[in-house]
Amino acid sequence: MTSTSLLTLPGQFSPLPRILVADDFDLGMNGWMDLRPNFVDEGFAAHSRELDFESWGSVMLSSATFPFSGTHGSASGTYSLRLATRSEAAGATERPASGSMSLAIKRLSRPPRATRLKVEALIAYTTEQDRPGLGVDAMRAFGLFVDLQDGEHRYMPGVRYVNAVDGARVRRWQYYTATAASASEWNYGQPGWHQPGVDPQWFGERHADGSTAATAWFEGRPQQLIYNETDDKINWMPLAMEVDLVARTYTSFSAGDQEYSFPPESRPTLAPTYDNIGGLVNPVFFVETDGDRRVSLYLDSVVVSYATTDDDRAEESR
Amino acid sequence: MKQFYTAVTDLRRRVTGGFTTFPYEAGWADEATYFVTIEESSAGALGVQLAVQISADGIRWHDEGTTMTVAPDSAEFVRLTHFGGFLRLAGSMESADGGPDASAVVTVRLALKG
Repeated sequence: MTSTSLLTLPGQFSPLPRILVADDFDLGMNGWMDLRPNFVDEGFAAHSRELDFESWGSVMLSSATFPFSGTHGSASGTYSLRLATRSEAAGATERPASGSMSLAIKRLSRPPRATRLKVEALIAYTTEQDRPGLGVDAMRAFGLFVDLQDGEHRYMPGVRYVNAVDGARVRRWQYYTATAASASEWNYGQPGWHQPGVDPQWFGERHADGSTAATAWFEGRPQQLIYNETDDKINWMPLAMEVDLVARTYTSFSAGDQEYSFPPESRPTLAPTYDNIGGLVNPVFFVETDGDRRVSLYLDSVVVSYATTDDDRAEESR
Repeated sequence: MKQFYTAVTDLRRRVTGGFTTFPYEAGWADEATYFVTIEESSAGALGVQLAVQISADGIRWHDEGTTMTVAPDSAEFVRLTHFGGFLRLAGSMESADGGPDASAVVTVRLALKG
């Protein structure tokens, strides 16, 4: 594989004035990798053991090749970034099972005078076509969040599409909200390295309807994203989330052709700062299976953009 | 310049009996090297036998022909080319008494280039 072109943004993308990164997976992994724990304990053991953090499905460059239809390719070109789970899930109210998720992270940092940040991607998802029928309800959820830290707080704005819970259809989007959980409640009964609100994709009480201690449902009717009529046909859909880095609130979110609005002052938990990660900007995508089948989320491409105080001033004077 | 990526497809996974590693798409790569490390073998464990498998769809698997034996507390590698789009390893735990209880912790790293 050789690099042949720079990404030209298709019309599905609507970035803020400054592009931080624009990642076309025909040009490689672009710095996206497995989200793994901190191997800082004796014998390189992970720092946290509330869950099996070492068995999430590895991310890969995929041609989206299926048993009967052959290679789907990506939205532009051949390759996309694929997040694939293993084939095991816990019940809706339990902590995530070993290998039930796959998570892709890219580690960036905050540029000067940044005021807003936007993460966009074209996405597709499917269940492994390992048995006859339609596997649309085998996926629990997928989503994206950004791990951010400024001078005062670490916080993780994010959205999650709850597709099905214990086999029952949900098809609704939720966003990460502030939690009042104690450290012990947040970390499944252990003191834990994770402050309440940190890593909401894993932590906090999980409920039978697919909500958690740190999520709120968007208003409105469920949204059936395109899954198509068989497990080997995928459609590329736009996903975009924008956050206000100054107010630490959500600005906008859209999925497919649907735009969602946040209640005023909506924000995730504002946790205390952690050492050595000031200015952190880490976008993360994830996918979760609902049962004994592998599910995959495909990304092509991912664009992270931002606006500065200069851009905001120019916009105001227009 | 070529692309390069190492995926740790199975990290410190305790295995017993027969098992397969996490299936990985590598259609973009011209060459692959599987590095396998065995730690924390149980008493009576003789090692792990591994066979490289390839697939047209990531679901139906064929033995590729390359095999390796990894002794307790050691590491081995195999080099691969012409493997199509999907790779994994099929393994079995070998024990002195042939029983099902022998176990070991396996780490699999797949280095891809192309």
